[in-house]
Amino acid sequence: MLQYWTAILSEAAIFAILAMGIDMIWGWAGDFDLSAYAYFALGVYMTIVLTIGKAHSPVTYVFGWHLYYPLAVALSVVVVVAFAAVIGAIALRSLREVYFSITTLGAVWAIYYWVENFTPLFNGYNGVYGLFDPLGSGLSYNTYHYLFFAACLIILLGVYLLVSRISTSPFGRMVRAVRDDESAASVYGRNVFWAKYRTYLFGAGLAGFSGSLFAAYIGAFNPLDWKPTEIFVLYAAILVGGRGNPKGVILGSFIVYVGFVELTRYIPSPASRPELGPALRQILIGLLIILMLKFRPTGLIPERLGGDGTEGRRSWRTLFTKSPQRDAEPDVVIGALPASGVEAS
Amino acid sequence: MTALLEIEGITKTFGGVTAVSQCSMSIREGTVVGLIGPNGAGKSSVIDLVSGFERPNEGSIRFDGREIVGKRPDQISRMGLIRTFQTPREWRDLSVIDNVRVGRSDLERDSLWRAVTTGRKLRRLEDRETDELRDLMTHYRLDTVRNQRAVGLSGGQKRLLEFARIAAARPRLTILDEPMGGVNPVLGERIGEAIRELKRNGSTVVVVEHNLPFIERTCDEVVVMDLGTVIAQGPFAELRDNKRVVDAYLGNDDE
Repeated sequence: MLQYWTAILSEAAIFAILAMGIDMIWGWAGDFDLSAYAYFALGVYMTIVLTIGKAHSPVTYVFGWHLYYPLAVALSVVVVVAFAAVIGAIALRSLREVYFSITTLGAVWAIYYWVENFTPLFNGYNGVYGLFDPLGSGLSYNTYHYLFFAACLIILLGVYLLVSRISTSPFGRMVRAVRDDESAASVYGRNVFWAKYRTYLFGAGLAGFSGSLFAAYIGAFNPLDWKPTEIFVLYAAILVGGRGNPKGVILGSFIVYVGFVELTRYIPSPASRPELGPALRQILIGLLIILMLKFRPTGLIPERLGGDGTEGRRSWRTLFTKSPQRDAEPDVVIGALPASGVEAS
Repeated sequence: MTALLEIEGITKTFGGVTAVSQCSMSIREGTVVGLIGPNGAGKSSVIDLVSGFERPNEGSIRFDGREIVGKRPDQISRMGLIRTFQTPREWRDLSVIDNVRVGRSDLERDSLWRAVTTGRKLRRLEDRETDELRDLMTHYRLDTVRNQRAVGLSGGQKRLLEFARIAAARPRLTILDEPMGGVNPVLGERIGEAIRELKRNGSTVVVVEHNLPFIERTCDEVVVMDLGTVIAQGPFAELRDNKRVVDAYLGNDDE
């Protein structure tokens, strides 16, 4: 049982890193990207083919190197970012909102079918396998799993510190300004494309990195393991936790992965209808998204509002307070100006 | 005095419509210039052309002696030109003080690399600026709302936030597109004062506005446009009796 939980929590930690990457693109920069799952999958595939060595017939895949795992991770991230650089350059140049999403959706399906049908790449439909114990520790199965879990938590903490540092930096603020009003941001000297592009590449890099971790977790990977539509589970996690807040995104990832994806496996499905359980899971996640949007659209831990240091409110406390409404009417306007001095336009 | 902004013979057509036609004007450094004219005269198009949002079909625009036709809005802005839009354009989900901080910050500070490597140093730098920005907030009567989301401000406060943001950015040329839109007389006085402050702090100002008494009180000089071109330029008092200006505003059946 303990092993079961460490496995699920390791998975949740890995997906929390992926969710943070997606949140940079959507939460910070406002681009509803649908191709991030391809970056994640590419990270998994690359890490596997860079570490497991030569392919033996009839299995075929590229590289087939036997690299040291950390080196393979670094190389995978580079490949993923290079891919994202092409897709991002096309999609972000002049497309926004739904047009951007459609373009990235096209990209992810193109990659998906390419990977599935072009066997010399990643062995097509059957996928690649064989990455166990990537660091060659020679530990027992159980010890290895516990250590892997600990490593995931430490890496998650490291990524969180990095992401939240960028989030609260002038860069994070500028990207959000671009999100809120592009024209106004360019009037203040910001190159809109460049701001969004950098964020996109960083987010894609995180997605690829989480894929590299997932490769070490799962050991084998094929097109059945990643449907591009799975990205909506990650968007659900971001919505639940708090769009634009790395802390919230981690919380949301754990809630969604542990609470909805894993625990719903226990929903009994009658032998005659084996598809009932997975279908119910999808329905529950859909319901969760709807309820969050209705009752707490900013998520459990809303995006941090940069104050001047006198606002005296910590983000975790907002868990227990009323959700700020994004479109709320002003609540402190009287007193800011003499009553006669202001008139809503 | 030298010309900070020099527009020479610019023309802009949208499909078959000529919005700006052989338009030339020159804005001297250190002045507040009103840009007036009836609806459809091409005032907003000129602003879009100068700020890089549109590209003229022909003609030249020089800012501080350098040609800016073909540059992107952000490049032109970095040369020291900031414009506003007809409606206030706050960054809605940023706090009020963060809106001003973005105005104060620059490309170098916004670097992703610096955010990763010298995050703490950046924070100290910004903390040192906070007092100054707080004073700015107080000056624009935004002190009680400075830590709130900008989307919650009233229309008038959003106008003042625009001025606070411009003041923090310290541009050489400010172009205001109808700053009095939807503003009552008392706040209008405050906005007139804000424009004079911009001038005192070294910015040249161009104001597009339909409110002529406001233009008369605020501006050193007026440029009048009609049908996409400049028909008169000079002190307001001189233009009052100019027949072409009066015709442009009131219409003339003879033409």
